[in-house]
Order: sequence, then structure tokens, then C-alpha cells
Amino acid sequence: DNEAGRYKESYSKLRNWVHSSLDLYKTELLRILYPVFVHCYMELVAKGFAQEAREFFQSFRDDHQPQHIRDLQKLEGVITPQHLQENETACTLQENKVHVKMCQYSFELLLQYLQSTESMLMLGIVNSHINLKAVLPGQPAALVDDDESSSLPAKVQAVVEATNQKEIHWGILEGSLEDKFEKQIAAELEKADADKDAETDEAKKRAADGKVKRVKRDKAGKGLKAEPAARSVPRLKPELTMPLLTDDFERQALDDLRNRVKLGSTALPSVSCYTFVNTNNSLNCASISADGAYLAGGFSDSAIKLWDMVKMGEPSMYSDAGKQSLNKRPTSIRHYIRLVGHAGPVYGVDFSPEGDSLLSASGDCTIRLWSTRLNANLACYKGHNYPVWDVQYSPVGHYFASASYDRTARVWSMDRLQPLRIMAGHLSDVDCVQWHVNCNYIATGSSDKTVRLWDVQTGECVRIFTGHRSMIVSIAMSPDGLFMASGDEDGAIMMWDLASSRCVTPLLGHTGCVWSLAFSGEGSILASGSADNTVRLWDVNGSSKVTADKTRRLRLLKTLPTKSTPIYTLRFSRRNLLFVAGAFSPSKGH
Amino acid sequence: MSIVPKETIHVIAQSIGISNLHDDVAAALAPDVEYRMREIMQEAIKCMRHSKRSVLTTDDVNTALSLRNVEPLYGFASGDPLRFRRAVGHSDLFFIDDRELDCKEITEAPLTKAPLDTAVMAHWLAIEGIQPAIPENVPIDPLSAPPEVKKSDIPGLKPDQMTVDLKLPVKHVLSRELQLYFEKITELIVTGADDVLLKDVFASLATDSGLHPLVPYFTQFIADEVTRGLNDLPLLFSLMRVARSLLLNPHIHIEPYLHQLMPSVVTCLVAKRLGGKNFVNHWELRDFTATLIAFICKRFGHAYYNLQTRVTKTLLHAFLDPKRAMTQHYGAVKGIAALGSKLVRLLILPNLEVYINLLLPEMSSQDQANELKRYEAIRVYGALQAAAGNCIYEMLQSAPPSKKKPANNKSQSTTRKDVDGDASMHEEDGADDKDEGVKRRRRALSEAWKEDVEVGDLINSLVDLFGEGMLPFIPMREMSKCIL
Repeated sequence: DNEAGRYKESYSKLRNWVHSSLDLYKTELLRILYPVFVHCYMELVAKGFAQEAREFFQSFRDDHQPQHIRDLQKLEGVITPQHLQENETACTLQENKVHVKMCQYSFELLLQYLQSTESMLMLGIVNSHINLKAVLPGQPAALVDDDESSSLPAKVQAVVEATNQKEIHWGILEGSLEDKFEKQIAAELEKADADKDAETDEAKKRAADGKVKRVKRDKAGKGLKAEPAARSVPRLKPELTMPLLTDDFERQALDDLRNRVKLGSTALPSVSCYTFVNTNNSLNCASISADGAYLAGGFSDSAIKLWDMVKMGEPSMYSDAGKQSLNKRPTSIRHYIRLVGHAGPVYGVDFSPEGDSLLSASGDCTIRLWSTRLNANLACYKGHNYPVWDVQYSPVGHYFASASYDRTARVWSMDRLQPLRIMAGHLSDVDCVQWHVNCNYIATGSSDKTVRLWDVQTGECVRIFTGHRSMIVSIAMSPDGLFMASGDEDGAIMMWDLASSRCVTPLLGHTGCVWSLAFSGEGSILASGSADNTVRLWDVNGSSKVTADKTRRLRLLKTLPTKSTPIYTLRFSRRNLLFVAGAFSPSKGH
Repeated sequence: MSIVPKETIHVIAQSIGISNLHDDVAAALAPDVEYRMREIMQEAIKCMRHSKRSVLTTDDVNTALSLRNVEPLYGFASGDPLRFRRAVGHSDLFFIDDRELDCKEITEAPLTKAPLDTAVMAHWLAIEGIQPAIPENVPIDPLSAPPEVKKSDIPGLKPDQMTVDLKLPVKHVLSRELQLYFEKITELIVTGADDVLLKDVFASLATDSGLHPLVPYFTQFIADEVTRGLNDLPLLFSLMRVARSLLLNPHIHIEPYLHQLMPSVVTCLVAKRLGGKNFVNHWELRDFTATLIAFICKRFGHAYYNLQTRVTKTLLHAFLDPKRAMTQHYGAVKGIAALGSKLVRLLILPNLEVYINLLLPEMSSQDQANELKRYEAIRVYGALQAAAGNCIYEMLQSAPPSKKKPANNKSQSTTRKDVDGDASMHEEDGADDKDEGVKRRRRALSEAWKEDVEVGDLINSLVDLFGEGMLPFIPMREMSKCIL
């Protein structure tokens, strides 16, 4: 009779048929239901059956709820044909065919069903919106493809496949601190060897106590030697002009690296927690400087507050600065410096590697540069047309990247007010950004559920990582440049192999947004901070072993709960002390 | 069809001065309004996420509106939740209740306190992966408390050594906060605060980490107060609850102080008189203490291997001494029963027959004129019944009785009513048979502790002793297997 009724009828018939099919083929056939459902709904809307469309949607919504809740929420409001043209999700769905892979037999089963029941509606939808791919005449069990591929539009998938063929250089930078540190150690070892040779001649004459000493030195030498040998990370020449580091800073950084605590599954880091109190829910973001000396918070009233943790005593990283506070009574509440300049909520702050400057991204579409020495605003970078969600310094400083609501990520240098590169390609907001350790790439996470890797030199997208089920909120790069971790709104963390663009393992455990991720200095531990009030430490074990055996051990080592403090940011110091920060937000009694 | 009803559109139209909006227009606008609202909310949620919050605020909505180039909604900046009112005459039309404020009142009102300024506190969330037990951290998961540490604490510390240790004038470093805490808690306990407050006290004692330095003071406090306040039932009850809370606290190693705590607890179970005046409900306290003792034995039995034997010895003495008061007997029976059915079989059942024979005169109104004493005896009787019933129940649960039925049990269970007429009872189906059965059952009772004892026999003998009043103490289903 009426057309609208037929949609519901044929869809529910198809659904019943799929659910009553053999278990062997059911999982494959189930994949077709969601695209058919969505397109049925959109066709109903397009034909103006608003009432019926809503009914149809409500009656089958629960089937797809667990996997596609966010898309469903976006589609739910679409009621008139006009909405269809405006809605982002609806547009992508209409423009792109969906890939569905299934084995030959399931494919034939489906075709047979569609033809025998003469459900032209369904056949039409399958024909026009779904790209059925009958792979392999073999058994369905052979298809171990993850189900997210079914929801990915075909066009996008093709792009992904093409993009991920591109070559990337994941090695760490020549002349970087790590590099210098290793060279220094190697030089010292040589020297020690030379000394030892000289010593052995003397030792022959000397008594046994000399021997003991040498044995000790031997051991120390071996320990140090083993480390650089284990990581055969290639060195790269920088593509960007690198800023010069001050001698003081370099000396100190190298000293820190020398004193770095070795972490692993048996040696867990110490965690120092900075808790913001009385924020009244207005703290949007926080950042900790590399040595933990400074703490900055970005607030929704457009102010940035800067705490100098050293001046107040307690966790003194600098011994000379600590003296001033010695005769004062130790108080745990610190005074801060208020940086005013933005005209909108501050969504992101980041310290430069040297800790002498601070960048902030705001809802007023600008990025500002602040000096922590002068406590003043130095520059204002305009370029984005919409709120800037995130800003990150490059590992060497000087360059920085920003992510915005306008669906672009931009690369800047401190001395220019215009961006150097604009990375466009994401289908939705770019929510977070992170530099690769060798500064040649940036990674961006977006609301379109993908993470992309961009070449800074060319501005091209070189990798697309698909697999997350919701908006990406945090990214971290492993220090060896091989791996990347990304955390999403649902609490899932994915480890990616940059070279192959495959997910190594999803790390599941968090129950709230993963606001922050950080690798320890030598890359053996991944720390994650989440809205569920926990810090979790994951074992991501020495990456050099991975190439040998593919069974990479990734597991949860420890969960550290806080007293109702969601963790906004976390950071390993150069000495591998983990700093975390969050706003204390007690749940109000009901 | 749409979530927004067309009445709402009418109301909004009226509020901006369009009074003659056509119904069709309203109906057509409604779905679009819904769509726009959803759109705005999605943007607002995005803003909420970037503000790292999980609660949507009016600010988020305003930011979302400005992203869409829509003028923000003014007047919603206050943090108070909005009060919605139902419009009179409409079932699903709501409006915001806007109170009229008098400017004069506001200007003349005294200034409110300035809100506390934002500040940062630092603490150690973990030291080398282990969370220190400091107030800033969440109380550690009880499961993670390493049992090895506890064990290593015990062997060196013999009870007598410990007392010597404690009496040395050692200067304890007790922080001021802990002192205040201790003073406050003891004051609340002694003065008898209201129930809600006490509940919080016990919860705090049972969960807070870092109370360990106070444990010796608390045990001493309990010991002192129990001896002092034997006539004050609420106080005793509170003290036992304190003891229980301390035992429950996973962050406290209470083992070294158990020896100090136990006498007080046992006192509250088997003291002759608790709570001074007659007819005070000290039974409840005894019941509570019995479970407490069972808990202690269960939890620390492995560390203090002679703990349970010492407790049971005390209890057995109280039980078997006919000179003791009925209240003491009651406590002892309850205590043994709480320790488990094994002990009931071992200690109570073999002595049951003798004991009941002594108890019965106390219960009958002819022999015992004192009303109170008779009541006490009845309580003991009840406790014994419950203990025996429970014991049988557990035996049935663990090992169902063998199929073999005693030949005459049917007639017994139905005809036997008189409790004390055991021997004098004559039955139609033959005295020999019955005599033999009685012997057998007596044997069953006295050998109740043996593993291979026949459950059916035990039940029958219990029914002999207690009469049919015993039956409700044993669940029907299990019993039907062996009696019917």
C-alpha cells in the first residue's frame, strides 16, 4: 500500500532473515544491516515521511546503538530533506559508498534473498549505496577483518589505502639531545676502555683491591654499552632549520638524561600529582614544564594562571631556587601569576622544552606566546578562523603546531605571525596535535575518528589511522619514533605502528576520556590520564624486540586512582619522574 | 512527531509578538527547531569536551551559539540549576521560574564571602609505583595489602613481650591531627553522640588509612572503657563497634594488639551482668560480640594459631560451669555457635543432654519462681536450639544423609511430644525397639564430633531433647530426606 510502510516492512524482513541465518554467515551478513538501516532512514526523510522516518528510526535504533551511537545521535535530528543536505554525517553517507566485505557464499545468499523476495527497495539501496565485495570463495572464518571497515565510506578507504603506501622516515633526529647523549656515552666508553687498557698493565703489578675496582667499572661500562646497542634507531638529517640550544640548557638536559631512572615493568615511576583546587569547573587545560618547575592552567574566563612550583619549595628541581623558601613556613597552597590577554576560553597551553616560554590556544581564534621569565605576552598569532583547540611545541622548540575547529592543523614558527603550513584534510574538527620526535611530522586527532600523520615539509598527509570509535582527544609519540598512541573519548587507547599504519593493540581499561598520554623517556612505559580519575601505566616494553617477534607485550601495569581528580595532563620529566595535574572536582552530594 | 510540540512554537511566537501564527506553520517549524537544537547541543558538547568537563554548562551552549554566529542567550551565567515550572493548563509546557529581585535588597545585603581562590596542591600519587597511604590519596584497595608483612610482624611479638614494649616510656610521634582525631572520636563515643554521627565515626575508623599510630591508644581506650562502663550498655555497644571498625580497616595491622583487645571483647560476651539494670536488652550486645569474636578468629586465626583455642577454652568453661549465671551461659553458647558448626558438634552436642536436664527445671514455672531467671533460661534454651539447628543444617548441606532410615523414626517424630518424658515414654511398637533407639541416639549425640556420625540419628536425638519445637530450626527440604 503506502510507500513508507514498505521500507519498514522490507527492512524488518531483511533483519529477520539475517538474524535467522546460519551462525557461520551471520556475522558477515550483519554488517550490511547498519548501512541499509541508515539509508532507509535517509530515503524516508528525503521523501518527506518525517513521521514514519522517526518511527522507523526508533524501532530499530537499539540494534546499532552500541557500535554507532555517535552517528545515530547526529542523524536522529534529521527530519526534513533540507536537514539532509546540511548534516555533516548525512552528507558523507550519501556521497560515499560503503565497503562491505563478505565471502562468496554469503554474497550469493544475500543476492538470492533480495531477488527471491522481490524486495526492490532493499535491492535498490544495496545497489546504490553499498559496495559489496565478495572476497575469496573461501570460508567466512578466513575473514578476520575488523568490523570498523564496514562503517568506513569506500572513497575514504581508498584514500587511506593509497596514503598509507607513502614512505615515512621514522628515525630520530641527528643532533637531537638523545643523539648527543648517546654519542657522549659512546665517547666516554671509548675513553674508559683506553683507561682500562692502561690500567691493566698497572694492575698486573698491583694488589687484588685494584681488581675489584676494575670489575666494578667493567660492569658499569657494560650497562651503559648495552643500552645504545639495543636501539638501532636510524638517524635523520633535519628537514627544518633547527634552533640552537643554549649551552647551559644543553648541559643540564644531558645531565638529566644521564641521571634518568630506568623504568620498566618492574621499575615503575614515581608520580607527583599537582591538584588544582577551587577551580569551580573553570579549568580547561593544564600543562607542566619539562622539569616540573612550572605549572600552567588555562581557564574558561580566558585567563592563564602560572604557578612556579620551585619558588614555593617542596618539589625543588633546582637547588639554588629552593633556598629562598627554606626559611618560610612550608605551605602547600601556592600563589600564581595571572596572564591576561585572550578574549575567549583557553583550550590549550604548552611549555617550550626549555621552559622559558608558554603558548596558549584560545576560543578567540588566536594563539599567544608568553614569557615565563617576564610574565608578559610576547606575540599573538592569528590565522585560524575558529576556536583553536590545541597547541604543541615541537620537541626542539621554536616551531609549534595548532589544531582548530576549522578542520585544519597549522604549523608555525615563533618568529613569524603567519602559519608556515596549513594541513587540511580532516572531515571534522582537529582536536589534538602532536609532533613526531624527529620534527618532520605532526600527528593530528580529529572528531572524524581518524588520526592523521602529516609531513611538515610538504604539508601532505602521509598516514591515516582508522579504528577509533569516537573523537580522538590525545596523542603521544614514542621516543624512538616508531610508535604512536592515541586516546579517545570512550577511554580506548590505540597503539599504532607508524610504518605500517596498523594498530598494534588497543589498550582498554579507562572508562572516561583519555585526556593525556605520555611515553617515558626511554619508551618502556606509557602513562595515560583520564576523566575517570585514574592514571594508568602500561607496559609497552622495549620496542627493539618487536621487530624480532611480533608478539609485543602490551598490558596494564598499574592503576593509580586519585581522589576525584580527573587527570588533565601528564608528563615525564627528563629524569623519568611522572608529573600529573588535574582539577579536584568532588562529586556533589545528591 | 517531533520532540518539540507545536504548542511550544506558539508560545515562543507569542512571546515575540506574533499572536496569530497558523497551526500548519507551527507544525512545520517544530521539527526544524528540534534539528537546530540538536545541532547546537552537539556543538555545545564539543565545547564541553574541550573544556575537559563531563557536565554541560550554559557557557558551553553560549559558546556553541557564537560558533554558529547566533547571539548568545543572556542571563544564564549563574551557576545555580535552573528551576523549571509547569505551565498551568498544559501538560508538557514548561517555563523558567524567574524570581523578581529587589535591587535595594541586594545592595543593602551584607557582602557575601569571597569565594576561595584557585590554588595548587602537590602530593605524591605514587612512589616507584606504590601509592603512599597519605590523606591526599584514595584509601588503598584492601586486596593489595600484602599479607606477608602481617605475618612477619607476628612471630617475634609474643603477647607478654608486647605489653612490656608498650609500657616503656617510648616517645610516640603522634601528629597533632591524629591527636585531635583521637580526642574527638573518644569524646563522641563516651558522650554518646547521635546515630548518624556515630555511623560516620565507625565508617571513618573502618576505612581511613593512616590510623595505624592510634591503634594502641584505641585498644587501651576500649579496655579502659569496658571495665569502667559495664553498666552502660550503649557505651559498650559503641566500643564493640569501634573494635569491629578497627578490625575491618585494611590499613591497620591490629594483630600485635589483639591480645589487648580480646579480654574486653570476651567480657562483653560472657560477663555476668551487662548494662546494669535488669531487663536491659544486653542480648543484642552479646549476639553482636559473638559474631565479632567469630570474625576475629576467622581473620587472624592463621596468624595467631592459638587464638581460637584460647577463646573456645574460655567459652567452654563458662558453658560447663553450672555455677555461672544464665547470661554467661547464653554468651558462651552464642560464641561457640558463631565459631561454626564444627565446634558446636565438638563442644555443645556431647554435653547437650546433661545440660538440658539441668536447664529444664530453671525454665518451668513451678521450679523457678524468679521471672527474670526463667526468662534467661528460656533465652539459653533458644540459643541452644538455634545452635544445634544450624549445625544440623550445615551438616545436611555438606553431606546429605545416607538412605538408610532408622526403623522407627516415623512414629517418633510424630508422636514424641513430651520433652522430659524421654525414658518413661511407652510406645505401641515395642519398648525394646525404642530402648535400642534411645541408646543409639545418645551415642549419636556424644559422638557428634565424629566425621561419620549419622545425621538422621542426630536429628532424632535433638528432637527427643527439644521436642517438635526443634523442627523449625532445620529447613524442611533437607529434613524431609532423612526423617519422613
